[in-house]
Formats: sequence, structure tokens, C-alpha cells
Amino acid sequence: MSSARAAVILATFLGGLVLGVAAYAITDKGVDANPYASLPKVAEPAAAADVARALENDDPKALSDQLDMTVLQQLQTAIDPLLDIRSIKFVGAVEKNGRVLAAYVAGGRTSDGTDIVRGFVLRLTGDQIVGVN
Amino acid sequence: MFGLNRLPPLVRTATMMLLLGGLVGYVGTAFTTTFVADSGILGNSGESNAAHKYMLALLQRQSESLSQLGPSGDVVSRALQQQNVSQQPQDVKPLTVTYLGGASSGRVSVQIYAVEIQASGGQYQFLPFSLTLIGGRVQRVE
Repeated sequence: MSSARAAVILATFLGGLVLGVAAYAITDKGVDANPYASLPKVAEPAAAADVARALENDDPKALSDQLDMTVLQQLQTAIDPLLDIRSIKFVGAVEKNGRVLAAYVAGGRTSDGTDIVRGFVLRLTGDQIVGVN
Repeated sequence: MFGLNRLPPLVRTATMMLLLGGLVGYVGTAFTTTFVADSGILGNSGESNAAHKYMLALLQRQSESLSQLGPSGDVVSRALQQQNVSQQPQDVKPLTVTYLGGASSGRVSVQIYAVEIQASGGQYQFLPFSLTLIGGRVQRVE
């Protein structure tokens, strides 16, 4: 087989490969359309960022300064069974009528050493954290 | 086959290579994107189609869809879930559904939504939903 012939065959194979990838990209619908309206995202609230930082830094004093007992208990339930928090990621927040929902994903280990992720949402009214889901 | 025998050998081979390349490209991309999304290898944070469908089924009280998309429990658990869904107030109207974001670790993925609901008597609620998915299937809703 001449090198020119081999090059043509290789080029057509690669061309087909590119066309196949393009065909998938065109036909793949991804996530279905949302039939409901969506709220615009807002920036991470400062009070929520402080709580996230305290969790990531394993700082119980900062947490107890920022949250009352009821909210702390809600937070405990929300992150259970995470024992050792290694990372906190802010994923998004929305605001409606002065109420803000700020969502986070915490990564870390459970008491038996299993790596898991847990999602939780801080509920704020104004600058005050009023609850955790 | 398909009259390819009538074509010159080089054109025939090139056509076969084009078709083969297209097939490999299409199937390979489909497999790779599905595998990467479900395994969380890249820590993907885009909205999962399974989570999206589950949220819509939950809000529209589609108990059959919830059974298919949710955890694979025993028949009694699934019957209980269907009963729970059917006993929810029928006049609850979702106003907005916002995907806040998510994160993955291995096969476990968390996707979080904010939902505004208008319940009966004009009662308004602004609620978060956190969905935990394992291997692309919803396992926990909070």
C-alpha cells in the first residue's frame, strides 16, 4: 500500500470520527427544558461565606459566634454523617422577597473513613442566617 | 453490499473508513460523556438529567416517574412512595424551579434546587431541595 493511499484512508477515518462526534453533539439534547421559570442567581452572602469558612477551617468558636443553637442543630443534621469536613463548595444562591437560599456542598469523611459529599442550604433573611436545610 | 463492489477499491475503502470513523466517534462520545457524568471523574457540577427529571416528577406528582428515577426499593416501599405522592395536596402550584448547582465525588453527586410553591389558600413557600445521586440515580431527597 502506498503512503498516499494510507494517508487517504487515515484521513477519511479521522474525518468520520470528527463527523461522528459532531453528530452526537448535535443530536444530544442534554438536560430537558425547564417548564418553570427560574430565579436569577445572586452572589454568595457574606454571612453564609463566614459559616462556610468556619466549617472548612474546623473552627467551632466561629460557628458558635455566628449561629444560634437551633440553627447549629439544623446544620448538624444537614451535614450528618460527615465527621471530618475537607472541602466546602458554594454552588449557588437565589433571592426572593428578602429571603436568600445559599447552597453548599461539603466533602469529607464519615466516622468509618468513607469519602462522601453532602449538600446543605443556608436560609437567610437579610444578613441573618435563620435556618439550614 | 449496498453496491459498494462497483466502486473503485480506494473509494470503497475510504467510504468504509468514513462510516467506521463516524460510528466510533458517535458511540465513543456517547459512552464517554455518559460514563464521565455518572462516575464523577471530573467532579462535574453541571445539572444531571436524572436529577432534573426527578425534580419535575416530584413537583408534578408523577409517582410512576419517581419510582423509575428514584432508589430501587422493594415493591412495598415503592407502593408507599406512590401513596405519599398521591396524598399530597393537589392544588400546590410550582412557581419557579431554579437549579442552584452541584458537585460530585466519585459516583456520588449532589444537586441542589430552589423551588417557589404556591400552596392552597395562597400560602407561599420558598424551599430548597438537595438530591443525592449515586451512579446517576436519585437515592436521597432532602
